[in-house]
Amino acid sequence: MEDTRKYIEAFFFQHKIEVPPSKLSLFYDFIANEENINSVKIIQENQKMIMANWTLKTRIDDIISQSVSLPNGTVNKKYESKIDFIKLGWNDIIYSEIIDLEESGLEFNNEEEIIFGNPLISGDLNIKLLFRIDGESEDSILNEKTITIIINPDPKSLWKEIESDKNDPYWKEDNVAVSSNFLDKNIVIASKRGRSHANVGSFRDDDFAFKNIENTGWSVIAVSDGAGGYPVTRQGSKLVCEFVISYFKNNFTNESLIDFDETLLNHHNKSDEDSSKKISHFVYDNLSKAAWSVHKQLEEFATKSERPLKDFHSTLIFALVKKYDFGYAILTFGIGDCPIGLLNKDLTEIKLMNWLDVGEFGGGTRFITMPEIFQSDKFSTRFGFKLVDDFSYLMLMTDGIYDPKFVVEANLEKIEKWNEFLEDLQGKNEDNCKVDFNKENAEIAHQLSTWMDFWNPGNHDDRTLAIIY
Amino acid sequence: MRRLPVYLLLDTSGSMSGEPIEAVKNGVQIMISSLRQNPQAIETAFLSVITFDSTAQQIIPLTDLASFQMVDIRATGVTSLGEALKLVANKIDSEVQKTTTEQKGDWKPLVFIMTDGIPTDDWQSGLNEFRKMKVAFTVACAAGNGADTNILKQITDNVVSLDTTDSASIGKFFQWVTASIGVSSTKVEDSGKEVTGLNELPPPPSELNIVV
Repeated sequence: MEDTRKYIEAFFFQHKIEVPPSKLSLFYDFIANEENINSVKIIQENQKMIMANWTLKTRIDDIISQSVSLPNGTVNKKYESKIDFIKLGWNDIIYSEIIDLEESGLEFNNEEEIIFGNPLISGDLNIKLLFRIDGESEDSILNEKTITIIINPDPKSLWKEIESDKNDPYWKEDNVAVSSNFLDKNIVIASKRGRSHANVGSFRDDDFAFKNIENTGWSVIAVSDGAGGYPVTRQGSKLVCEFVISYFKNNFTNESLIDFDETLLNHHNKSDEDSSKKISHFVYDNLSKAAWSVHKQLEEFATKSERPLKDFHSTLIFALVKKYDFGYAILTFGIGDCPIGLLNKDLTEIKLMNWLDVGEFGGGTRFITMPEIFQSDKFSTRFGFKLVDDFSYLMLMTDGIYDPKFVVEANLEKIEKWNEFLEDLQGKNEDNCKVDFNKENAEIAHQLSTWMDFWNPGNHDDRTLAIIY
Repeated sequence: MRRLPVYLLLDTSGSMSGEPIEAVKNGVQIMISSLRQNPQAIETAFLSVITFDSTAQQIIPLTDLASFQMVDIRATGVTSLGEALKLVANKIDSEVQKTTTEQKGDWKPLVFIMTDGIPTDDWQSGLNEFRKMKVAFTVACAAGNGADTNILKQITDNVVSLDTTDSASIGKFFQWVTASIGVSSTKVEDSGKEVTGLNELPPPPSELNIVV
């Protein structure tokens, strides 16, 4: 009765009704009346219900508008993330389910609150979370919340493979791979157009050439990388390799070599200052003439084509190798950022035959097309020589291989990095691509070419790798 | 891998509230989703957002595009551009990898500044800090007629202006930023060279005036 009195007094007060002393007895009867007591009870219950409903609705609204950030996913890449109900403060959610996931490639594990799977479609994936909170009746319609997960496209799917224009006067094959003999050893070379070029239908800028010069016993291999950002460097790289081969074929002849064969034999028997000096002199003399001749021939070509020489900017590395009874003589020249590595027979030593022109912020490389390199003090250091009993691999590569596989110049001097590289070639890689260096393997060119499709983020340049084994 | 760092310095002072700030948020969102479709950008470009109002803060540290998630921004307070310049200098110093014999460093960062007002702090001391950093290029955008292009010209040669700060104009600016990041990421990967100035970027749309 006390409750009823308080309520009615307050109700009257709200409506500015005062009960005068003369009506007090009437008022007591009024509040004791069963019907009035019940009415107050019903009103109070309804009010309570309204309050509870409001609390429920605001809570549901809070949950719906609460921001839930889940990590982004990527198409074809395993995704797993937890929608942590406790952390989100959702302990009042008594029932939940996630619907419409079928086409997304994802699933939701209700127990663990984990969303997982391999996303199939890129874009904003809007997930529908249906839920019921404590206080809602069991047959109430479920509330719906949208959670967005950003799904990135599979980077591999973004690269286009556009054929290069075969009618271009300087067109070249996008991908080539060859194997052959090289002295008494084998050679395998693959050269591939980079994804960045395939994506826009431009050409492979790398090139290579090799030859066993039968009458002298020397074999020569050249690799070149046409500089990006200049119009016809694909032709530059092709020509410089050809010029190297033709120079040695025509100018590196028996008469001039007889003395050198003897010098090498003496050096092998007893290497002293004199023999070393003679060799250095020979190497410098012959290889610098070759390099200069390549430069001049390219200059002529540029003039004829009415283009500045820089349009043909290309790096150049080459190696001359001859087999003697007492071992192999290896002579090298290098300009630009492509390494030549010589691995000894038992893979315990690496001899980097050249240093690389690497600029402070990239793009600092030098090209055979630059006349100033021939005048530079450093010119004489561009030559390499090594006389070895035998070797396991001699490798020449462009930066398209060196950048992803060795990353920095310092690694080129580390034998462990070369051993990792060899293991990679022999199948220790994501795609399980294997190059089998068995001399009988006739499939090796194809294998190397397939291996060369390896994926490495940010490295989509042309790739060329020549291996003598 | 060599990353291409991109720093966005966005004015979130009170005058940006309403349509302009919504347009900026939207612009960044569209930029991100469009760059995600660019195979070079998605692998190379890393983005950071610094906002400046009464104070400057890096609301998103340098993040790869694939994991990038935009956060909410609100417009309030004054224009601490100087503090923002100091902060970006600081972040470039700590976040951008330098080349050593053991690792290849990042590409030089790109910096885009957008403001609709006049700095209210000591912007010159911030600029001094910023100048110590090596960047590929900085572009400053004066949005609407409240910004002072003369001050921006002292920060960088590359100044553009928008006549108004409506969502269409701001949207155009971000479209152009998107194209510029795309071109830069393609260029570094293709030729190993960085873009160094406005003339190597895609031509700005007509809504964007180049301030000479």
